Amino acid sequence: MTAQNTQDSPPTYVHREPSTLRKALPWLVLAAVLLGIGYLIFTLVQSLVGRAPSLTIYTVKGGWISFLLVLLTACGVLALTSLIGQRLGMRSTGRQVRYLAVLGDQLTHLLLILVVLVAVYPLLYVLLAAFDPKNSLFAFPDFSNPNILYKSGLLPKLGGLTFENFGKLFDGVTIPLWQVGLGLLAGASLGALLVITLIERVRSDTKGLRRHRGMAIQVLVVALVLLVVFMTPAQFQGQGNESKFLLSVRNTLLVSGLTGALAILLSTTAGYAMARLRFPGRFQTLLFFIFVQMFPVFLALVAIYALLFTLGLVNSFTGLILAYSGGAIAFNTWIYKGYVESLPESLEEAAMIDGASRWGAFTRVVLPLSGSMLVFIFLNQFIGTYAEFILANVILTGVEKWTVGVMLRSFTAGQFSTKWGIFAAAATLGALPIIALFYGFQRYFVGGTVAGGVKE
Amino acid sequence: MAVALTSLRRARSLTAPQGPLGVLAAIAILAAVLALSVLIGWLISGLISTAFPGAPSSVVLICMAPVLVLLLLLALRLFPWMQSWYYLVPALVFLIAFTILPIVLTVSYAFTNYSGTNSGYGDTSVKTPVTVSADRLSVTFSRQPDGFTSLQSFLGCVLPTCRNETVVLYDAEGAVPVNARIESLEGRTLHLTTTVADSFKATDGTRLNAIRAVGLANFREIFGRASTELIPVFLWTVVFAFSTMVLNALAGLILGVLLYNKRLKGRNIYRTLLFLPWAIPSVITIQMWVALFNQQFGVVNKTLGLLGVPAVPWLTDPLWAKVTVLLVNLWLSFPYMMTATISALSTISDDLYEAAGIDGASRWQQIVNITLPLLRTSFTPILLSGFAFNFNNFGVIYLLTAGGPSVPGRSSTAGATDILLSWGYNTAFTSSGGQNYSVASAIAMIVFFLTLLISLVNFKAAGVFEEARR
Repeated sequence: MTAQNTQDSPPTYVHREPSTLRKALPWLVLAAVLLGIGYLIFTLVQSLVGRAPSLTIYTVKGGWISFLLVLLTACGVLALTSLIGQRLGMRSTGRQVRYLAVLGDQLTHLLLILVVLVAVYPLLYVLLAAFDPKNSLFAFPDFSNPNILYKSGLLPKLGGLTFENFGKLFDGVTIPLWQVGLGLLAGASLGALLVITLIERVRSDTKGLRRHRGMAIQVLVVALVLLVVFMTPAQFQGQGNESKFLLSVRNTLLVSGLTGALAILLSTTAGYAMARLRFPGRFQTLLFFIFVQMFPVFLALVAIYALLFTLGLVNSFTGLILAYSGGAIAFNTWIYKGYVESLPESLEEAAMIDGASRWGAFTRVVLPLSGSMLVFIFLNQFIGTYAEFILANVILTGVEKWTVGVMLRSFTAGQFSTKWGIFAAAATLGALPIIALFYGFQRYFVGGTVAGGVKE
Repeated sequence: MAVALTSLRRARSLTAPQGPLGVLAAIAILAAVLALSVLIGWLISGLISTAFPGAPSSVVLICMAPVLVLLLLLALRLFPWMQSWYYLVPALVFLIAFTILPIVLTVSYAFTNYSGTNSGYGDTSVKTPVTVSADRLSVTFSRQPDGFTSLQSFLGCVLPTCRNETVVLYDAEGAVPVNARIESLEGRTLHLTTTVADSFKATDGTRLNAIRAVGLANFREIFGRASTELIPVFLWTVVFAFSTMVLNALAGLILGVLLYNKRLKGRNIYRTLLFLPWAIPSVITIQMWVALFNQQFGVVNKTLGLLGVPAVPWLTDPLWAKVTVLLVNLWLSFPYMMTATISALSTISDDLYEAAGIDGASRWQQIVNITLPLLRTSFTPILLSGFAFNFNNFGVIYLLTAGGPSVPGRSSTAGATDILLSWGYNTAFTSSGGQNYSVASAIAMIVFFLTLLISLVNFKAAGVFEEARR
């Protein structure tokens, strides 16, 4: 046995009993945290005790007791049905089924349903409010109604739902027929994309679907690009901000799309060079990229504004896109570098032996292979830009240039002039394209986002 | 001639200079090319704007781009070893123009008194009538400006003759002020170094609200009031980022483990529905929550009313507002943590569970002894980047509470839910903050150093440096 040998062999595990303090530490921390949370809850509850019930809210005294009773009853019923299910299952399959496993699954369902209800009901409520001309986001509930859902205001009057709020968004808007046609085409292809995604989930054989999928994406992109490019502010002559909502959607799509394209243009070559080329300064540049993105861009806002003002680009899409471009580079370069490193280098080497230059190997071999990554970079940037608010709010000063976020903020900000009904309608319409994109491209999106963090 | 040519050829065939010299040479060449193209682009755009006075000032960008491309190609002919750098040039140019330049400007603002008032323009609040002499070289104030005993104190002169100070002149419309350099001062008459244009009919004059260097005064101001602003805001920032991280991780972990159960029917439906908060742009959903958390009309309080809870002041009570911010942030980001958990779980081999099952381990024991320890490796980087992200999670704070409600004894720019970043934003952009750009820039620098610290720990844990060096 030499020293060399012991270094090479894997370290052997030697069990050491941790000290008492080391063993007690997690429990001490847990106790402290629980105490803190307990104190917080106590303070919060104390701040509520003795408050008079609000006039605008229908209060049921001791309602939580009934709620707990309902939950307990549900658990009891589930315990019973699990028992029946277990017996039936054992008889029909002849296998041993553990009662606790069945009950556990049933209780999981109950918990998940509650979680889904809490997580999704707010969205459903806003969706319903969009159709409610009486502005149910900000109204007195109907105390005289015997139905408890109406009485408490948890549901708007389902009978009184209209398209009035949506109508206000399209007030004074002229849309030529060909644009309607293009819009319908885009909607249809997006719907087809969603259906294909659904089918893909159910069926395992998806070869034939891939062609349709590609076609749907092409039609969608072409229709949207035509729509976005040829829609003009002159089509929107209505009074008030809300009549220009469709224009703001168009503006957002334009800005997000161009930012996404710019992100691909700027980060792919850089990411490729970082992954494959070895030259002095590569590591330093990479570090520079990483550290630059840590400076909070929002606080450089004054400087960005001053810069764009000198260039005469305030209140222009060019200025906004250029301002976004700086933030788009570092992260995407890093992601693309990781992706290129995961590709086998032998492909490029083979191409270069066949006479391709470095650049040729990049454009002819690596780029065609990185389709899914490019889709992810584009989508991530697109969705991120769509949801951006601060820069857009500062740089875009004219109503005709506003993006969706700024437009929505104009409905909700201000003490006495809030338009919650219109906000709900606009939020519904504004969220739809992103939801459709998200679910249509979920495969790329989830895969790419999580790939950054989760390592095997 | 021939010698020069051969030496040039020899220089071209050289491979890249290695080591730090190569880095410096490449940076110097790129910087020279960039500076030259900016210069040439600026000159051309100057020519264009004299030929066509209506041309927008963004013409300088359009002029610069072709010049830059041309010069880059030229540089590549001279230094072929620069080839590798050219892959980085597009990203570098944009990064320098729209990230580095603003950062440099911000850092320089931090040491000045730049604000809404001290903005480098004339002070219109103390305009005083003036007359210009016939030779257009001196300006006489018709009276002492209100509230000042002498012109020296009014103009803020360093020297008693006010040499090299600036006076701002307005015509009757007051739209386009003219700055004039002062040569000397005599009573209420200022002698100027250059003549005022004949076409300019000056009616009023005022002092310049100059942006002056103030050294470390902004930092002194911030740290001087640290006990009422910096420290509480910093503590809340840390508490906010940390508890968001823990809450989201717990929720994501629980849901992920529940949904990874292959026996569970309809788990795809649950997963699809629970994705929704992630799929909808947060700029929309956060504003939605403002309505839902309203004390009098919000649906949250209406629901709680059914349970017998009195109306909770979600957004108006300092303590409750903090709870609300955490809850909304939980709603916004648990789908991501859930997805991350599911992806991480799918990397754990089923054999382990099988073996444990054979050994008689219960489901709970399997979770505690197999799942959680194995999740730790993939969860550490996610948690740390979550902390870093939430440390600067300006969007949720600004759109939900705008930093409020205000806390008695603290300035209104540092409300109960303000994190460092939103405090800086309020200082710069709200009227209550006095549009104090310089203090905001100083705050930005503090935030930057804190972020740097967090990110260093973060990168160390995630192995970013090893990955970069590879």
